[in-house]
Amino acid sequence: MKEIYQRKMLDYLVKNKIENFVGVPDSTMKYFIDQGLKCKKVLIATREDEAIGIATGFVLSQSNSLVFMQNAGFANSISTITSLVQLYQVPMIFLIGWRGFLKNDAPEHTKIGKIQPKLLDAISLQSKILNEKDWKKSCDWALTLIKKGKPCALILTRDFLD
Amino acid sequence: MIRKIAIAVAISQIKYDDQIISANGFISRDLFTTIDKASNFYMIGSMGLASSIGLGVALKNPRKKIFVFDGDGNILINLGSLTTIGTLKPKNLVHVIFDNSVHESTGSQPTNSNFINIEKIARTCNYNYTFTVRTRNNFLKVLQKIKKLKGPIMVVVKIQQSKEKRSKRINILPVEIKERFMRS
Repeated sequence: MKEIYQRKMLDYLVKNKIENFVGVPDSTMKYFIDQGLKCKKVLIATREDEAIGIATGFVLSQSNSLVFMQNAGFANSISTITSLVQLYQVPMIFLIGWRGFLKNDAPEHTKIGKIQPKLLDAISLQSKILNEKDWKKSCDWALTLIKKGKPCALILTRDFLD
Repeated sequence: MIRKIAIAVAISQIKYDDQIISANGFISRDLFTTIDKASNFYMIGSMGLASSIGLGVALKNPRKKIFVFDGDGNILINLGSLTTIGTLKPKNLVHVIFDNSVHESTGSQPTNSNFINIEKIARTCNYNYTFTVRTRNNFLKVLQKIKKLKGPIMVVVKIQQSKEKRSKRINILPVEIKERFMRS
């Protein structure tokens, strides 16, 4: 997603009462994170599972949270998602950067990129892929789900090479 | 001092409403057996994350005192947590490490906590006060002393493995643990 949409999306989520953005950075969403840093809503953790733990503490304190990460970090976090977020039904939005979406992305992303939809499916984490046209609709979908107490994921594809 | 005794000593100095986030394994089971209350969050899975959950709760509840009951294996699996806590410096966070130098819950395989200094790492990570205690009396003294101190505070409690019968499993559903904690 282009810079302008990433920034708009952060602002839109803040407007809709997401108070914390915790995670480990991914260049796929660097403008989103930058926008959050500007309004002091971002907390950078050392690992993705640590970010999920901190966000759980926030949600337990009635403060809505989003956790951002690259899909490599999502793979690292699967046990935490199943044994903490899903087990206790802790509502939070995951924003996951999809490296390996393009076939010629860097080699370290190829395998995880290929199995990412299957991983999401295997742990029954509901998700939607963001795009420039419908991003607001996808955000509304996620906001509605966390209001119902359900965790979910928004996927940001890596649609450029550098 | 065995963990069950150490937990009882800690509880004797913690207000009933103060929130406690306890690490998975025997730490949560011992806390549950010692005193079950809504303000306890028993983290039954996700090893390593009790201190991270505690950090999140502490940052959002600056007027409450938040205790983390951690283990040596638990903090060693998420050592990065100390850097995040030391950077954000919640004044109301007390991080207790019950350190028996083994993964007792999985059959007492050794951790490396005897060969490094967890208290020193916490101090280097900018915890405001750090302590290591080995006896019941010293633990009690430290618990009384820290009531007036600003966190983040770490207390490493060196404990012995227990030959006693293990505490029972937590028989409250995780969703219920969460809901009553949120109301506490």
